[in-house]
Amino acid sequence: MATTTISHQAIGSIVSHNRPFKASLFLKEPLNVPMKLSPKRFKIEATASQVIDNTVLSPSKNKPFESKKRSNEAALILIRHGESLWNEKNLFTGCVDVPLTQKGVGEAIEAGKKISNIPVDLIFTSSLIRAQMTAMLAMTQHRRKKVPIILHNESVKAKTWSHVFSEETRKQSIPVIAAWQLNERMYGELQGLNKKETAERYGTEQVHEWRRSYEIPPPKGESLEMCAERAVAYFEDNIKPELASGNNVMIAAHGNSLRSIIMYLDDLTSQEVTSLDLSTGIPLLYIFRDGKFMKRGSPVGPTEAGVYAYTKRLAQYREKLDEASLN
Amino acid sequence: MATATSHQSIVSFASHRSSSSSSSTISQCLLREPLLNLPISKGFKIHSSLSCNNHTTSKKRNLCKIKAVASSQTETSVSSYNNNTFLSPSKNIPDLSKKKSNEAALILIRHGESLWNEKNLFTGCVDVPLTEKGVEEAIEAGKRISNIPVDVIFTSSLIRAQMTAMLAMIQHRRKKVPIILHDESEQAKTWSQVFSDETKNQSIPVIPAWQLNERMYGELQGLNKQETAERYGKEQVHEWRRSYDIPPPKGESLEMCAERAVAYFQDNIEPKLAAGKNVMIAAHGNSLRSIIMYLDKLTCQEVISLELSTGIPLLYIFKEGKFMKRGSPVGPTEAGVYAYTKSLAQYRQKLEEDSEVICS
Repeated sequence: MATTTISHQAIGSIVSHNRPFKASLFLKEPLNVPMKLSPKRFKIEATASQVIDNTVLSPSKNKPFESKKRSNEAALILIRHGESLWNEKNLFTGCVDVPLTQKGVGEAIEAGKKISNIPVDLIFTSSLIRAQMTAMLAMTQHRRKKVPIILHNESVKAKTWSHVFSEETRKQSIPVIAAWQLNERMYGELQGLNKKETAERYGTEQVHEWRRSYEIPPPKGESLEMCAERAVAYFEDNIKPELASGNNVMIAAHGNSLRSIIMYLDDLTSQEVTSLDLSTGIPLLYIFRDGKFMKRGSPVGPTEAGVYAYTKRLAQYREKLDEASLN
Repeated sequence: MATATSHQSIVSFASHRSSSSSSSTISQCLLREPLLNLPISKGFKIHSSLSCNNHTTSKKRNLCKIKAVASSQTETSVSSYNNNTFLSPSKNIPDLSKKKSNEAALILIRHGESLWNEKNLFTGCVDVPLTEKGVEEAIEAGKRISNIPVDVIFTSSLIRAQMTAMLAMIQHRRKKVPIILHDESEQAKTWSQVFSDETKNQSIPVIPAWQLNERMYGELQGLNKQETAERYGKEQVHEWRRSYDIPPPKGESLEMCAERAVAYFQDNIEPKLAAGKNVMIAAHGNSLRSIIMYLDKLTCQEVISLELSTGIPLLYIFKEGKFMKRGSPVGPTEAGVYAYTKSLAQYRQKLEEDSEVICS
């Protein structure tokens, strides 16, 4: 843990001495990689750490990062919520607002630990409690210690009542915006039905088609295409502009709404997106820079190292470390 | 576990005496709860028999009064009646539709530590989430009410109360699934519809209501408590925080908070209890105090000095239009919170002092 902290400060000193803050530097901090053995660029960090003085940002005084940031880079974290009570019961959930199980709570906390060193300025969630809880639980692990605050604008009263009257406190806050457009795909008449029973009622093939096709919706429900339409539109209208302004964003949402967004980020075909499976509890990382999205973590990570494959070499190096520590 | 056995004895005892054996009343469920973790003692027998004599009506209501556990003698003899035909803890799906009593349980849970509590900032209606500690408090609270039936949940519209309810219910033994109702728009209603009756029967509706929100603190929201004292003066701040009818600038007084919270309770929650539904309310210090003021008929003076523990749920029984408190708001020790009777509380405290073992 101490190693990571030092590199944190080291990055800070590089910033203040040389150039404007770049999210990429912040993100390149080694995750549990000892300084000595790291690739060349981290060596710079090691020497820089010697010149750290008190004027340099310490993790506890994180404000200046934002105001000095002139780069066009921003981090985008995607987190899929973990197990819900209906997952456990094998029921089609869709937009029914079912909470997390104990396991789901654990997954959220684990996810939080993985992103605890990645900056977050803004959080978007769906309007469903399982995604919101995932975000809030993950943020309890966040090292920067800014406080997430859920914005309320369902009515004028809600807006007025939730007003914060201290400028300083607002600066130490991370706005959380809940949006139904990030909800799970609406499953229509299948919502609440047992998966086995549904297969018996409609036939395994029909159900499989609803679940895995791109444009065929279940009765009164959404197809993946329809879900993607409203999720991506929301992303383009509300989230992308934030990234473009240099704000680091976290999205806590669902399997289908996140796949839809990834389809957009990675330019996937409808075929590719239907076979895309997102792990729960393992956040995905993208860097938005110069109008482009660069994936930094693979959606399906066979090992933890694979998810944070900043470079293949780093991932392999880390994997080696993990194996070595097992002996 | 002595407690478990004794609970089963009570339950079997009940089935033997009551006319309708298949239905489950609150009393039976309540008796099953291991909240007290009390070992058996003679003293309780006396207490229970006294209570029984008071009852002339339904036998099921009698059971409610048999709070205390039977003595060890009764235990062994009654336990022989305990067979699989009666509810065992593993088959916890009592058929509430058959419940004929007018009794209902009301659980009040105050959420635990929020991120602004930690930073000593006035929170009010700003929607700040729980800290790790607050999460644990919710889970602990859930363990304590894991055996009390819950049919419907009311929360405020703030995430810290909602999370508290959801985390508490993870511990619930009945395993019905809480589902948050959405009616903010037509689409929200349609989209959250459940298409299976069986699934609906296994659900606990969760109703968020802004009327159960924390007292709105106006211009103090987000301010550091110390700074505010420096800015407005300690006395003024103390007055705002502790008076009954003086609101902070642009905020609510406790009186105003009580007005909307109690009105909501009377209009939406009390009817549920009257219909025999067991209710849980997960909310905040001031909205809960307001409701308790109504339940216990407290004076303004009394409500101001009422402090609610976080993480320790309060239990009320609603019967025949009356609210009976079953757990004291201020528990100097854990035993104090579940002071069904004073002597029980004292007895338990003594046990803990003697054994120096923390009951889980």
